[in-house]
Amino acid sequence: MFSYVIRRIVQSIIVLLIVMLVTFTLPYFQYHGILGPAYAVLGTKASPANVRIWGIQHGMMHPYVVRFFTYVGQVFLHFNLGHSYKQNMSVLQIIRLYIPRTIWLAASSLFFTTIIAIPLGIAQASKRNTRFDYAGTGVAFILYGVPAFLLCQLALDFFSFHFPHLPSSPPQGVAPWAIFTNPVGFILPVACLTLLSLAFLSRFMRGAVLEVLVQDYMRTAKAKGCSNRRTLMRHAFRNALGPIVVILGLSIPGLLGGALIIESVFNYGGLGIQTVAAATNLDIPVILGITLLISILTLAGNLIADIMLGIVNPRIRVEGTGR
Amino acid sequence: MTLTREPVDDTQSTDQVTPVWRQRIRIFRHNKLAVISVVYLVFITALCYLMPHIDPGNQTNQAATFGFRWNAPPSAHHWLGTDSSGFDELGRIWYGGQYSMTLGFLAGFITIVVGTVYGMISGFFGGVVDTVMMRIIDAMLSIPFYFLLITLITIFGRSTTFLIVVIGVTGWFGNARIIRGDALLIRKLEYSQAATSMGASKWHIIRQHVFPNSISNIVTVATFSVADAILALSALGFLGLGIRAPQTDWGTMLQYGAVQLQNNYWWQVYPLGAIFILVVVSINYIGDALRDAFEVRLLER
Repeated sequence: MFSYVIRRIVQSIIVLLIVMLVTFTLPYFQYHGILGPAYAVLGTKASPANVRIWGIQHGMMHPYVVRFFTYVGQVFLHFNLGHSYKQNMSVLQIIRLYIPRTIWLAASSLFFTTIIAIPLGIAQASKRNTRFDYAGTGVAFILYGVPAFLLCQLALDFFSFHFPHLPSSPPQGVAPWAIFTNPVGFILPVACLTLLSLAFLSRFMRGAVLEVLVQDYMRTAKAKGCSNRRTLMRHAFRNALGPIVVILGLSIPGLLGGALIIESVFNYGGLGIQTVAAATNLDIPVILGITLLISILTLAGNLIADIMLGIVNPRIRVEGTGR
Repeated sequence: MTLTREPVDDTQSTDQVTPVWRQRIRIFRHNKLAVISVVYLVFITALCYLMPHIDPGNQTNQAATFGFRWNAPPSAHHWLGTDSSGFDELGRIWYGGQYSMTLGFLAGFITIVVGTVYGMISGFFGGVVDTVMMRIIDAMLSIPFYFLLITLITIFGRSTTFLIVVIGVTGWFGNARIIRGDALLIRKLEYSQAATSMGASKWHIIRQHVFPNSISNIVTVATFSVADAILALSALGFLGLGIRAPQTDWGTMLQYGAVQLQNNYWWQVYPLGAIFILVVVSINYIGDALRDAFEVRLLER
């Protein structure tokens, strides 16, 4: 298990290098080349001389390869993600300031998604092809077809304008715990993100349990006199847990992507809003930093999912150590 | 007295097995909701491409609409009212639908072609090639989708062609992974091994064995890709990065309409919202039914 984890971590670092290479190279293809941000910072009518001076000040006149390796060294050796062009903060400061709010949002909606979707999926699979199952499938399909922003704006319209009970945006303080000064404002964003990720997870859970239900050991369990409830909980659930754990690990980028839209609609000042602002302002260090951070989270999620998979399904653990 | 032969009832014939594709159509047709989805999709697509020609109206020239009212509620003249620029909402829905559908289908097509080629090569050659190619996919999948999309759009601009290319280029990673799994599986099966032992070249095996046998997965994945591409375009519309005015697409229209919801201009959101959601739902449902139709276990042998 230990050597497996080490190998996975080495692979993850290689993947991170590829991510950095891609995100670092992309800005070179802009209209103004690597000096594009200069026009975003100094204005569209900046003189070529000023643009050039700005480029020299920000170390942009070095060759591509030199710049890339400087950046990689800076990130891996000093954990320095650079300095924002637009805001007078280092990228690390920006991330530290905004990430707690995004984590509250993503983690609580992941929590609610899990505790709703898993029982729902099991219930649908065990009562398949009944009205309940069809209703669940229909709702899941519709939720999957609604654009995220439309769902949020409809929720906003219903619950905060026509039936004004819920605040339209959460508290705006920047302290990590500011969100809890008025938790009611937290309800709408979390509910929307939960609904959006619910569709996929409940469909997936239904499929996973259905796969298990046709296995021989399920028939054996029934034959030896297990109650329906016991077969579902002891046999079906545990065996369907494997794919679910993997999917939860893989859902991190999707969740953060959804958070981006939800943060924009509800004016929830987290990393998502920063991402959109950085992308439209060509604030490249911030873009690179946030991408890197999310990639690290994703890869860590995958790794933890694989380790968890070894815990819920000992067969994989044996294979992993055998290699 | 008929001169033609009595039609053979496929379901009753026991002496000969029905062709596979006909069985698949039958399984698909058995799924009533899937048939309804196909009818709905064809109907809406036809309306989108035909209505702007049948009833051209005025879709792009704002100056010519000054005689009308902005945000007018539904009336006999404007069945779904007018939008915030004074354009007829219903006509605008068909007009924007052309862009959403065309972009969705073309971008979906790009994702499936690139994903298939990449996945086939990776899964078939295996070993170091596979490892390297899959690590690249891992890397691209761990960059958030919207993020890559926004960055590429701000870099390359918002012309229709670039929108198609960018949505296509950012959407194929998941497809490649699925197709690669298929290719990996088929390569290990006996008939591929047999072909190898008879001296068939790798290219021949890909063309004659791997590709035909994973076509079912490719078609299913392609269907879902089109739905995802339409959704991705609508998300771009929300971020203000969709088709440029005076042209429009459904995402941009929904965004403008949703902003107007607080003024109770319901006609700018709900009709289009329903059409849009049902289009995506029916494409996904067709994909689901296709997967059933291609399911080997349901075929008679």
